[in-house]
Amino acid sequence: MIELIKAALAMGWPALGILVGLLFYFKASISDPVANKRAVFKTFIGIIGAMLLFMAIANYKMNFFAESRLLPVSLVLITSMTFMMALYFTNISALLKIGGFMFFIAAALSGYGNWLPQVEGGFPPIEEKKDFSNMPQTELADEGEKIIFGGVGQNKVQGAIGKGQCPLCHAFHKGMLGERAPNLDGLPERAGTQIDDPRYHKGNPAARDSNQKEAFPGSGTAENAQEYIAESHACPSCFVVAGYGVKGTNDKESPMPAIHKPPISLSLPELAAVDTWLYVREGRDAPSFDEIVKSYEKFIPESDRPKPPTEGDAKPGASALMADGTEPVDQIFAKGQCVACHTIPGIAGAVGTIGPKLVEGTNAPLRIKDKEYKGKAKSVPDYIMESIVEPSAYVVKGFPDNTMPKVFGQKLSAGALKKIVDYLSQVQEGKEPPKAS
Amino acid sequence: MGSVTRTKLMSIMALGAMIGLLLLPILVAIPALASDGGAPAADGKKEGGDAKVEKGKDVYYKTEGIVSGPPAPKTTDSEKDYPRYNFESRVLLWFANQQHLYYGSFVLAVPIFCMVIEFMGVVTKDKAMAKRYDQLAYDFIKISLTAYSLTAILGGILIFTFLTLYPAFFQYLSGIFRPVMHIYALMFVAESGTLYIYYYGWDKMKEGFLKWIHLSMSVVLNVIGTILMFLANSWIGFMMSPAGVDEQGRYLGNIWHVIHTALWNPLNLHRILGNMAFGGGVVAAYAAYRFLSAKTDEERAHYDWMGYIAMALGVAFLIPLPFAGYWLMREVYAYRQQMGITLMGGLLAWLFIIQATMIGILFLSTNYYLWQALGRMRGAEKYQRYIKYLVFLLTCGFLVFITPHTIVMTPAELKAMGGQQHPVLGNYGVMSAKNGGINVIITTTVLSFVWYMRGNKVSTVSWSKFGNIFMGCFFFFAYLNIILLAIYGYYIPANVRVGLSVPQVATTLSCLFFMFALNSVMMKGAKQMGPIEWGKISARSQYALIMLATAFTWMMGLMGYIRSSVRLFWHVNEIMRDNSPWAYTHTVGFAANMISANVLFFWISIMFVFWLGALAAKKAPVEAKAAVPGRAAAPAVGH
Repeated sequence: MIELIKAALAMGWPALGILVGLLFYFKASISDPVANKRAVFKTFIGIIGAMLLFMAIANYKMNFFAESRLLPVSLVLITSMTFMMALYFTNISALLKIGGFMFFIAAALSGYGNWLPQVEGGFPPIEEKKDFSNMPQTELADEGEKIIFGGVGQNKVQGAIGKGQCPLCHAFHKGMLGERAPNLDGLPERAGTQIDDPRYHKGNPAARDSNQKEAFPGSGTAENAQEYIAESHACPSCFVVAGYGVKGTNDKESPMPAIHKPPISLSLPELAAVDTWLYVREGRDAPSFDEIVKSYEKFIPESDRPKPPTEGDAKPGASALMADGTEPVDQIFAKGQCVACHTIPGIAGAVGTIGPKLVEGTNAPLRIKDKEYKGKAKSVPDYIMESIVEPSAYVVKGFPDNTMPKVFGQKLSAGALKKIVDYLSQVQEGKEPPKAS
Repeated sequence: MGSVTRTKLMSIMALGAMIGLLLLPILVAIPALASDGGAPAADGKKEGGDAKVEKGKDVYYKTEGIVSGPPAPKTTDSEKDYPRYNFESRVLLWFANQQHLYYGSFVLAVPIFCMVIEFMGVVTKDKAMAKRYDQLAYDFIKISLTAYSLTAILGGILIFTFLTLYPAFFQYLSGIFRPVMHIYALMFVAESGTLYIYYYGWDKMKEGFLKWIHLSMSVVLNVIGTILMFLANSWIGFMMSPAGVDEQGRYLGNIWHVIHTALWNPLNLHRILGNMAFGGGVVAAYAAYRFLSAKTDEERAHYDWMGYIAMALGVAFLIPLPFAGYWLMREVYAYRQQMGITLMGGLLAWLFIIQATMIGILFLSTNYYLWQALGRMRGAEKYQRYIKYLVFLLTCGFLVFITPHTIVMTPAELKAMGGQQHPVLGNYGVMSAKNGGINVIITTTVLSFVWYMRGNKVSTVSWSKFGNIFMGCFFFFAYLNIILLAIYGYYIPANVRVGLSVPQVATTLSCLFFMFALNSVMMKGAKQMGPIEWGKISARSQYALIMLATAFTWMMGLMGYIRSSVRLFWHVNEIMRDNSPWAYTHTVGFAANMISANVLFFWISIMFVFWLGALAAKKAPVEAKAAVPGRAAAPAVGH
């Protein structure tokens, strides 16, 4: 609160000064005592209103990118200001009340949005370059589980989802309900019998009643269980399990996207990892990596196969990133090695003393005002960002310059930097640090 | 006589000019479209007579076409592809886009209101009322004219923002839409020209045949405006569900495919209805402001009436809006199931809970206004004692409607909840129950309107008793049907349950159309218990109108954000990836704050527009002695 008042005064002192000047002018110049009292009182109300307005603006500025969820406070302050003014400035009372009411509605809705669980969509996953072809089967299966569920051992966790996005529609265990798509429990065994389904028309794709007869002209149909799995990934509409087609198409078209195409775009080695997990988790031996890849090659023409990520495709510096921003902030501090040099309240293991203690919610405003400060930052988040990407812009007294590496701007993704800035903005001396993960 | 003929001739010429303006872009476009829009051929594809013609497959229509453009650029996080200020570019674009959309929606909606109100003025037999309607329509278009300039300025700012912050993306998109870019620009010229002729010709064409010509002009104006909006929608439709290009994003020469994407039609319908409801809200808020600051009874009466008309028009389009929304969502699911899940059950699901709350607020405000409005009618007391039951129905419907059902949760949340769905509340969040909730809300709103329409009247038709019983039974069985279907939904599988929405919606629409029609017939020549005392409505009711307008503005911002965010890290879904540093989705809280900022900026600026409109008032106010609409000749008696 005191910080807010200070920031408001720092920002609005010229306007407030004029209002105070006016107050004294009215006091001295109006001779009629009633008019004098009224003018002085209204000016006083105006000063309070202006103060509330500047506090609202300061709060907006301080919390715009922060995760503190305090932005709606600004709207509440403006609402209070307008209703207070409406009481005393009757000639524009209707306008002030309406404006205040609108701010109140916006404050309530903003507050509601900030009260709900805060879900943030991460950056698109950075493609890792891994050689799946030489992995042992269990390791390959683990990679498959990561692609499907986002991590090893996550397959029974509801809501767990990976790059493949399969659990959005499919269930994977007995008894679990998958209303949008078939349950994939027992798939390796079932796949062998599915190709004998009369609707499948093994060896005779032209006879199929589906909208798409073949994955591509001449690809034919599956001859074994693995090929069936490959075909259903590459061409979901070639054969639709009864009851799971797009509504109104009479099971002639599947709602599932081709997995090797955007938005999922799994490469053939990744598909091999996924399939291997489907076998291994049921205690079965999976076909070899090459056999699985070959089964996909039958249904995906070369021109359609997603290229494995290369150095050139990746974002500049992506492969060399210390943190991509998808991690919790404590991990970002650890990956960025910040903990080795700095003490950061709330971050386990961050007890370094080579650099200053990072209590930026308290320190940053003071440093910006420091006469020796030559940087460009005007706000706490700006200052923190500047300290990371340009550490020499301001060197804290008692610490030597050029100790902190100047590469963090390139080594941390924008998302990671944002999380660091958000966190450090909220760390204040003598106060409980914010939650780190 | 000669002067009248000359005016008539001039009017017909003006109408001809408007139609010419309307057709001009189409005529200009024909040669361009005939030659595949003149889109640039991919490098080296047409060089020499025997050069190979490369063909590509349309990602949506699956048809083959000649590759006629470059592939979508692969951007990198660099100053070249994403030049930036020391601020998040996406937020700047968000702001510029939202403001342009608000003003665009307003200036497209208001002429439709003018058309309707002017038509009402032309066909009404009461001369005083006709004059009032005409004055109201004129006031509307006057406001729209000032806002129109601001819309064009904001459009310019939007284009500059695109060009300076997202040049690669904008270049690609404008390359794809090149065949219709000039049509789009010419449509603006046509819209402006038509609007000026329509506005400045108002006084010259106020009587007889000329008035009909003038009314026809409003139709032409709205046709142009609608085409303009459809073209703008094709851009966002393309970004969400691209068509007319191959997998690399290369244009295949068929501009109709690019425009007519999977989501274009539902977006068009949704936006027309949304714009109308929004326009109604803005005008109602303007009327509320003028009512609350009015100094005389006449002023209060006029703005009370204006607020009511604007609210009624807005709500008339608000009622079908949820159904159009369902259609849009259905098409989203049909296009990409994952997209639908991201919206309704995944990353953006909490925003839909806010949306449900907003819809509830809109209907609650509308009903509250109508109940307050009953207070200015003598004879309406008989309905007021039943309002508490409507409050109960609305509250139950609202609570069911906002209850979430399927949301992808974190393991900790799942553990705390004990499963994917809450053991009790989850049941109320299934689709048929939600459908039940919103249909109960809408049916109750219809009932409030029916009560309002018959508030101060007693039917004199011989079969009035039977009619009243029939109406009562109709509403009773409608509620019963909606609620029973909602409960039945628990006992059947989800894919069958979805189908229940059809009979539920049909029931609500039956109430809307049949009951309104029957009520109108019953109230024809009805005995008046007392006049509608315009201007005697409570101040609280005006705040309900302001709530309606603000909430609608907020909801528009919210839905625009949801629609845009669902592309996640794609500029053009699955075709052109967003590689900027802002390719992530903000938190719900940040989005809510940003929407509030946009909403408040819009309202502060539109207040300025209203003030300008008042400054530019040229027409003399309607004579004080002209009867206030709906008011008997005798002075009104206050409640």
